[in-house]
Amino acid sequence: MLQEAQSVVSQISGADIATAAKYLAAGICMGIGAIGSAIGEGNVAAHALDGMARQPEMQGKLLTTMILGQAITETTGIYSLLIAIVLLFVI
Amino acid sequence: MFGPLGQKLIAHVAIGGFSFSFDLITIIVSWIVIALLVSFALVLRRSLHQEVEEKPNRIQALLDILIDLFKGQLTSNFSSDKMAHELFAFVSTVFLYVLLCNWISLIPYFDSPTKDLNVALSMSILVFVMSQLLAARAKGTRKYLKGFFEPYPFMLPINIMGEIAKPISHGFRLFGNMFGGAILIGLVYSFSITRWGFPVLLNVYFGIFSGFVQAFVFAILTVAYINVAVES
Repeated sequence: MLQEAQSVVSQISGADIATAAKYLAAGICMGIGAIGSAIGEGNVAAHALDGMARQPEMQGKLLTTMILGQAITETTGIYSLLIAIVLLFVI
Repeated sequence: MFGPLGQKLIAHVAIGGFSFSFDLITIIVSWIVIALLVSFALVLRRSLHQEVEEKPNRIQALLDILIDLFKGQLTSNFSSDKMAHELFAFVSTVFLYVLLCNWISLIPYFDSPTKDLNVALSMSILVFVMSQLLAARAKGTRKYLKGFFEPYPFMLPINIMGEIAKPISHGFRLFGNMFGGAILIGLVYSFSITRWGFPVLLNVYFGIFSGFVQAFVFAILTVAYINVAVES
């Protein structure tokens, strides 16, 4: 049993570990990176909705500003997506 | 594993000591987009030749509504009416080009050009150069250059980095959104048994909705960057 396990371990090369680490790193990067931008976008939408509920006549203006704010908040998520893409395809 | 997802047709050209690579699909599709926009404009313009007193025909009424909508949504964020009037054509052209680039991926075998970083980044660099030139024109070259040394001269590198970060985040946002959507659609298509049903819904979301929102955001950010550069 132990010898079998040792032979399996000895077959794993450094390149295999590097590939596994690459995929793992891309997954972790995207998963953790999405948390911040998701919370931020939710905050923007919540406060825009608050404003719309208080002053329905401001809806058009608030919607534009909300989308703009969400797009800027999204940037950090996009950066982590780019890092994940670089990890997967380039390195 | 990722082979069939991204197929590219790349032309390598060597001029002198330099070698250039062109993504042919991106180039051809973006020229198709440009041809579509120009031919739309020429066809629609033909219906505008009429006297002012006459009742507007249908196409003219539609164009009036569209232009009012664009003016209200896109250029109302400019601080001065003069600038809004001046830059309306520029901003709405950027918006229409990016919108059609995003939407053309709905046609089979057409990849959207904005999925290529070169297109997205060149659009944002165009906006960057435009905003810097307008700022230099509005403030005068001397005052514009002096703005980089504010509030203290040693802040110069930080100011320059701040300016350069804008087009990078502007372009990468468009590219990241479109590329991420395309990867997701490609993945689901490669997993699913049929080409109909659920994947089509993804295409509707990422193609139509997300494409429109990203084009709108791109145009709004164009307005915001130009406005900030001219005002500050």
